[in-house]
Amino acid sequence: MMKGVFNLARRAKQGLPDVGRTPADVVHAENKWSLLRYRARPDGLAPGRPIVLVPSLINRHYVLDLMPSKSFVEYLVDQGRDVYIIDWGTPTAEDRYVTFDDIADRILARAFRVAAKVSGSPDVHVLGYCLGGTLTAIHAAVRPRRVASLTVLAAPVDFHDDGPLSQWTNTKSFDLDALVSATGLVPWPLMQAAFYLLRPTMLLSKGVTLADRAWNDEFLDGFLAIERWGNDNVSFPGECYKRYIGRLYRDNALIADAFSLSGERVLLSNIRCPVHTVTFGHDNIVPWRSAAKLMDVVGTEDKKHLHLPGGHVGAVVSKKARHKLWPELLGWWQERDGGPAVRSVSADAAGS
Amino acid sequence: MNLWKTWKTAFDAWENNTAQMLDPIVRSARVLEPAGSALSAAMKLKSMTNRASAAWWSAIGLPTRRDQERALHKLNTLESRILDLEEQLEDANATQAVK
Repeated sequence: MMKGVFNLARRAKQGLPDVGRTPADVVHAENKWSLLRYRARPDGLAPGRPIVLVPSLINRHYVLDLMPSKSFVEYLVDQGRDVYIIDWGTPTAEDRYVTFDDIADRILARAFRVAAKVSGSPDVHVLGYCLGGTLTAIHAAVRPRRVASLTVLAAPVDFHDDGPLSQWTNTKSFDLDALVSATGLVPWPLMQAAFYLLRPTMLLSKGVTLADRAWNDEFLDGFLAIERWGNDNVSFPGECYKRYIGRLYRDNALIADAFSLSGERVLLSNIRCPVHTVTFGHDNIVPWRSAAKLMDVVGTEDKKHLHLPGGHVGAVVSKKARHKLWPELLGWWQERDGGPAVRSVSADAAGS
Repeated sequence: MNLWKTWKTAFDAWENNTAQMLDPIVRSARVLEPAGSALSAAMKLKSMTNRASAAWWSAIGLPTRRDQERALHKLNTLESRILDLEEQLEDANATQAVK
């Protein structure tokens, strides 16, 4: 343990590790959000459609490009893929009026159009992570033109689950309108507090784990990078939050076919492109059954469900992900692009 | 097994049991409802303060924070609509060039 303490003291002088280091260029910027295109590997791009990554609104995009060897983006670029990601930026006071339709309809449509145009492709593969997955599923149901395939990682679809977040948002005394009216942008510390409720002993447990394994530089790098990301959150545009919590969490309108996007009814059965859903067994933010529900409602026969062990974040950025999840996703896209299949699905992965 | 490892094993067991014990408590209406009420009351108070402050600014003929936010949001919306039109124009030109 003492070795760990000394190592931690030594590392404290170096500061937090760099994150999101894969080189990228901004190909479109509008209001606070921007679309980044990662620079191709020196050998150039391999054949295949571009991939657009859509992260959650609450967290920073660089979770998918955390650090070398723990970066899904770096992996895809190394494999020759043309990768884009949406950086939602940091909303400011006037963005309280940004609506769910602005984000799930107009912004996503623009991002997919720009990516397709820059890459010279008619459409793009779309991957949505967490809330990003919900947004992309809604978009694909109503605006399918540019979506060649849809991959959703740990994205809530059925919001009436047994998770604590669902129970909190359905608390009768929680006045959604009062919160949005008073804050405008729903402050991220408030949302983070709700996440801590998921496991109240988490902070203490993290501290002890850190003390126990701080001697290991590799562990320390990963731990500090995740902590940096986990505490670098953004506040949520109020109007959008009101609809997200009110219609999705409280009314469960998406699964009841009662949700609308820019006035058009969202029927998930209208999703006809290939769909790949990934769920994580120990995900306590998005219970896996809530995410897996998408498989039951989409209108395509080309669908696949991959269920892996691990939590909401760890399962996407861990060492294991590099050997299981990432090759699986890449292989699935390659098959849909008519290229050679890359298979390395683990025995514990359940496909259907 | 050294002292730290023994302590860590005991801590892990305690942490796991405590988390399991707390889980139904933090999910129960007896915790969530008062938390919701407290949050809502605080937010209503904040809204009242915001309204009082806005009324004061308006009384001396100055734009309120909300006025400025609305104006900036309209500008952002306008920028977005201009980009939409630019895209449509480019598409129309490309279609015409093909013909």
